[in-house]
Amino acid sequence: MSTDNGNSKIESNSVGCTPLITGNPTFSSITGRISEIVELEVKKTPKAWFIAFGITSTMTMAMSAMIGWLLWEGTGIWGLQNPAGWGWAIVNFVFWVGIGHAGTLISAILFLFRQKWRTSINRFAEAMTIFAVICAGMFPGIHVGRAWVAYWMFPLPNQMSMWPNFRSPLLWDVFAVSTYFTVSCLFWYVGLIPDLATLRDRATNKIRKIVYGIFALGWRGGNRQWQHYEKAYLILAGIATPLVLSVHTVVSFDFAVGVVPGWHTTIFPPYFVAGAIFSGFAMVMTLAVIARKIYSLEDFITLNHLECMNKIMLVTGTMVGYAYACEFFIAWYGGNVYEQSIFINRAKGPYSWAYWTMVTCNVIVPQLFWFRKFRRNIPWMFVASILINIGMWFERFVITVTSLSQDFLPSSWDYYVPTVFDIGIFIGSFGLFLTLFLLFLRFLPMIAIAEVKGVIPQADPHHYEHHDDEKH
Amino acid sequence: MSSLNNKDNKTTSEEMWSSVYERRTVKDSSKIETPNTELDAPVSRLEFLRLMGASMLNNKDNKTTSEEMWSSVYERRTVKDSSKIETPNTELDAPVSRLEFLRLMGASITLAGFTGCRRPLEHIVPYVKQPEEIIPGVPLHYATTMSIGEDVFGLVVESHEGRPTKIEGNEKHPSNLGKASSLNQASILSLYDPDRSKSVMHDESTETWVNFISYWRQLYTQMKGNNGDGLAILTESFSSPSLLRLKNEFLKEFPKAAWVCYDPVSNETMYEGIAGATGKPFKQVNRYDKAEVIVSLDCDFLLTETDNVVNSHNFSKSRNFEKRKSAINRLYCVESTYSITGSMADHRLPLRCSEIIKFCVALAMELRDQAVPIPGLDKIDLNQYRFDHSWLKAIASDLIIAKGKGLVVAGKKQPGFVHALVLAINSGLENINKTVHYYEGKYSQSSSISDFSNLVSKMSNGEVNNLIILGGNPVYNAPVDFNFSTNLKKMQTSIHVSPYYDETSSLTNWHIPQSHFLESWGDAASTDGTLSVIQPLIAPLFSSKTILECLHAICYGTDKSGHEIVRETWSNSIIPISFEKNWRQILHDGLLPNNHSNLSSLKIDRGRLSKYLLSQQGLLSKAGTGLELVFQSSPAVFDGRFANNGWLQELPDPITKLMWDNVALISPKTAEKINIDLNKFGSLKTKNYQMMTLFFHGRELDIPVYVIPGLADDSVMVTLGYGRTKSGQIGNNVGFDTYKIRTSANLNYGSDLKISLTGNSYPLSTSQDYRKMEGRPLVREAVASSFINNGTLTPALPMSPDLTPLWKSHKYDKSPQWGMTIDLNVCTGCNACVIACQSENNIPVVGKKEAGYGREMHWIRIDRYFTGSEQNPKMVKQPVPCMHCENAPCEQVCPVQATNHDKEGLNVMVYNRCIGTRYCANNCPYKVRRFNFYNFTKGGPETRIRGEKPQELQKMSQNPDVTVRSRGVMEKCTYCVQRINQGKINSKTAGKKLKDGDIKTACQQTCPAGAISFGDITKKDSVVSKMKELKRNYVLLGEWHTKPRTSYLGVMRNPSNEIESVS
Repeated sequence: MSTDNGNSKIESNSVGCTPLITGNPTFSSITGRISEIVELEVKKTPKAWFIAFGITSTMTMAMSAMIGWLLWEGTGIWGLQNPAGWGWAIVNFVFWVGIGHAGTLISAILFLFRQKWRTSINRFAEAMTIFAVICAGMFPGIHVGRAWVAYWMFPLPNQMSMWPNFRSPLLWDVFAVSTYFTVSCLFWYVGLIPDLATLRDRATNKIRKIVYGIFALGWRGGNRQWQHYEKAYLILAGIATPLVLSVHTVVSFDFAVGVVPGWHTTIFPPYFVAGAIFSGFAMVMTLAVIARKIYSLEDFITLNHLECMNKIMLVTGTMVGYAYACEFFIAWYGGNVYEQSIFINRAKGPYSWAYWTMVTCNVIVPQLFWFRKFRRNIPWMFVASILINIGMWFERFVITVTSLSQDFLPSSWDYYVPTVFDIGIFIGSFGLFLTLFLLFLRFLPMIAIAEVKGVIPQADPHHYEHHDDEKH
Repeated sequence: MSSLNNKDNKTTSEEMWSSVYERRTVKDSSKIETPNTELDAPVSRLEFLRLMGASMLNNKDNKTTSEEMWSSVYERRTVKDSSKIETPNTELDAPVSRLEFLRLMGASITLAGFTGCRRPLEHIVPYVKQPEEIIPGVPLHYATTMSIGEDVFGLVVESHEGRPTKIEGNEKHPSNLGKASSLNQASILSLYDPDRSKSVMHDESTETWVNFISYWRQLYTQMKGNNGDGLAILTESFSSPSLLRLKNEFLKEFPKAAWVCYDPVSNETMYEGIAGATGKPFKQVNRYDKAEVIVSLDCDFLLTETDNVVNSHNFSKSRNFEKRKSAINRLYCVESTYSITGSMADHRLPLRCSEIIKFCVALAMELRDQAVPIPGLDKIDLNQYRFDHSWLKAIASDLIIAKGKGLVVAGKKQPGFVHALVLAINSGLENINKTVHYYEGKYSQSSSISDFSNLVSKMSNGEVNNLIILGGNPVYNAPVDFNFSTNLKKMQTSIHVSPYYDETSSLTNWHIPQSHFLESWGDAASTDGTLSVIQPLIAPLFSSKTILECLHAICYGTDKSGHEIVRETWSNSIIPISFEKNWRQILHDGLLPNNHSNLSSLKIDRGRLSKYLLSQQGLLSKAGTGLELVFQSSPAVFDGRFANNGWLQELPDPITKLMWDNVALISPKTAEKINIDLNKFGSLKTKNYQMMTLFFHGRELDIPVYVIPGLADDSVMVTLGYGRTKSGQIGNNVGFDTYKIRTSANLNYGSDLKISLTGNSYPLSTSQDYRKMEGRPLVREAVASSFINNGTLTPALPMSPDLTPLWKSHKYDKSPQWGMTIDLNVCTGCNACVIACQSENNIPVVGKKEAGYGREMHWIRIDRYFTGSEQNPKMVKQPVPCMHCENAPCEQVCPVQATNHDKEGLNVMVYNRCIGTRYCANNCPYKVRRFNFYNFTKGGPETRIRGEKPQELQKMSQNPDVTVRSRGVMEKCTYCVQRINQGKINSKTAGKKLKDGDIKTACQQTCPAGAISFGDITKKDSVVSKMKELKRNYVLLGEWHTKPRTSYLGVMRNPSNEIESVS
């Protein structure tokens, strides 16, 4: 097993120069290496996994209890009040949806752009997307005052001819997020089929054979199946691509369509999308660095992969920084007193601590990625990815809470303070996310076996030294 | 008798008081027995009232329509259904068919299993025989009277199926003129207070009235024997013919007994001053409607002084810009603390309470210098008290110009000297009988601190050993140096009549529950001598007695109903001729018409006046330096008697916006002296405030300190009425008991105060944290004279882009289209509308903690901003209900269309459809939407304090026409849609067109200043349309194109040129 030499100058898509997958693996070694993590006997599951799972599932249970109390007692257990009708629940929703963006971006957009380095991280990222969207989807459901009738947001035909309000961005949200979730799931599952078949074939006990067999949908790896598979994958990638842009655009409409100063701004859609990709990549980075270390997958997720992700974070981070600056400029240029006041208050008012946390984490921290040394420094990028996610959470907090707290009439201004339940449910949502993620690591191949095989040199047996030769 | 009584009560309760929750099922399967009321049976008191009512009903010959006719609640009860009535038993006797069985089972599973947990099912009993005047769902209105000490309020009470639900002002009564204060209106919640005392108590165990009477009879004969030696009665001050008659009878029965009146907040100094000048303690009525120049010396006549309701009403008349143009009244206000009167002033001078006397003298000197004859000043050399101030000149010349149309008033905190001198000034300015009238308080008995002091010393040395306390709560509110509780314990017999088993009751041998005024018969005389009747709206909810009934029992040892006592008084001395006919009319109107006792031809006794002033001269030199402490009655809980009223506790103070607490108010400069962090005040983040110790004449009190700009420096103001320990669940331990440092020598204010911070902090809840308007055009104002010329208000509205909509917007042109205007020029910020709305719309109380979060539920709030200089800022107020925007931002963001526009332009909430996303509240630029974070009304309107256990009694206070909102739904001002619909239904059934003014919102109806107009804006001749056409009219945040239906009329100022040019 080779280690990273730190000298790879090859950019992501140049297959054939420095290999994307190091260690010169064979097809079967790839299969074996990835499948064995999943195929471990229960008893041999690493202790660390059990400890981690114990912690995260406890967090999840604690969160469930808090949600139970929330539904029993009322939204009042949160710190919401009159001007700030939305607080942590909505912040968390946007935060998790944002995190859910990297998956689709990596799977779909990078796929369409033939960015082959994505194969090592796409499964991972897609799984993360789905779990993040699950966490995100939970919050709008529980944050409404009467959660038991939250289904009224869906256009369900009923005898009373009640129909949702299609002018409301919250309704658009319902459609955007549910579509995104559905497509992400499909995409992930379709990508999983060949690998599930591999696991089925390698299964040594009946249960595994049956379970993986069912989900493998009779995959035999035949030529026709591969043809259909590739087409389906391509089409799904095509469908998913606009969703990357649309979901967070629609989420940003929740704010941009409102009249609240600090919300009502046209820059929100691109700004939110950039921010979402930013935070999504940061989260992928956090998880990848850990998983790569624990499962010794350095050959698959190489330093080059990580560097590519850091570059994307640098780009999106700078875009977000630009958006922050632009908001201030427009507030000044637009001459609207309410808008001006909200931005001055963000920077200097009672929430300035949150604002400057956001700016530091989101704008200053990624700037260090201009330097190659930082881009390839694993401890630094791990810390940076966490800081970025903290910053992105604060970005949503700043947008949601500061704008509401100090809007038009100074008489209603107030200061929002979260309660233990706001904080607890947010922490618990990490529990849920990580629990799902740990289950994923344990039971499904965390790297797309079939796809990774496609980017190693052996996948191109026809004299790859001449592979550029079209006539051949 | 008592069992009969109980049964009676029960039936009554089930018949009459169906709450809003109880309307769901009407199923009755058991036998109903109505009490036998034949005359040979023992007749309970209640029964007696019924019979009386019935006989009156039968006599009634002039039957006008029932809706217009307000008569006694007892008069519409029939006693004809006196025999046993059996209702057919529909379910249990008959064999149950299969179908029936399935139906029952199905229903019970559905109801019990699913909805049962959310919607309480209760069974009610329908009328067996419908009372004649009651139409279920149609409220009746009755006139009655409320007294707080000598202050009398004529009210009209709305009654739904026999339970009073809403208090309004009586249009005919001169103290109210159809308007009602927040205290008036909130008193209905006190009626249904579950903490009220429910039975007679003797040494902490339950007793009965009958046993009390037999106990008293023993004592009575003993007392009678020694002519009442050692017996004393302590009451609150009152103004009531019947009570005065009984007082005189009592003193006749027990000539040696003492009768003492004490009120912690009273007009005693005013009467003292008036008596000092004239020889008699006349009652003073100020006609603010006729005054063009008003000088208020520490007189908060718009809120905390006597006759504040009618004062606001009259003040707004002379402040009416449209009628009087640049000649609107000019108000000068000199005061130590900030009052709402001060906020209305054109010129306000913060001056320490103890120095106002000097100012008054200086004003008198100034006037004398300008050749106004001020009687009584001749013998005093007052030159040393001249104020070198441009103010005095301006005021004096204004007052002289407005001779006969000016008015100088002094507040009840000021000593008699000031009141006497004010009277002299008014007399010199020929204002008497023009803007100020004096009446003989024929029926009133005023509070006297010296009498009380005598009583206490007699109690202490054993001269008095039997004390009867009729009303009041002296253990809590007596001056602390009297050691009242220690002396009370020395009594052989002590009897306390009060609505609560309170601080005093717990130290007396006997406690008798006092009836609420809505359960009582009584009478009262207002300041101008108008007589009115207190008539009950409901039979006493508990076995309580009125003061009159107790006093009668004490006088004669026999039981007599309040009804009889009052009728006796009136038939004997007030309307001896054709009593029955007049009586009915009086009950209907609530007052005796045209009974204005003649204006006393007031003569100032010069010699007496100068003697009096000379004798009080010491006060002038006493107005020393150093810190002073001022005691002020609370605008919310008054002297503490309303402490257990959740509505009032949660009512934001008009100045500080504090709820659920009292504080020590100080000015920023004074605060700096003791190193208080001024940044904390007006900051959004502050929840905890510093505690301060007040060292006052050897006593100390820890209280949170709160800084308000515009207060006089070196003056600390505290409100009375908080820190109760035995008021009930709501009021216990709310705030700090300032009576603990209030001595008889410093009842209103006193110097030699020392303060220091304790180092502790204390959480306070405010409804508004931020104090400045940030230069935004929210409350806009102009100087009246220049507004006439240029028509511009400041701050100017911001430039806005063209507001032409992109698409064709809905034309709201079909009549009616509802709209509202709020005249900020006359709005005093008195909070009457807030309580009116709370009462009308079943708005719950959320408690201090929730209110601190900003979760108070008021549908109309009063915003308060400080503008101008830090040292003497102006204060502006703005009531903010829902704006009912035509382009409502809340409507388009609701995902389930729970908030919509109706065709009459109302922005309506569909509670059933609301899922509680709170998006609408976020998107409301005015932040008028209120969210039910919890089930605030689960057990009643005070659920957050009293718990979720259903408070059946409190539910009775709810308006059945308004849905009670459950948790998780948004709510907001509806423009009183229930009243709109009632008005439309009424006009339809009457076959008449809806007239302007037929429909009044609750806030509009009660606003003492008449600041709120409401009506159809498509009708050009409606009041609201005319208001909207005025130049002063503007909408809040209009540049956002929300097209609000509620608009504001700008504030008009009328400053004096002389003062303006100096400053």
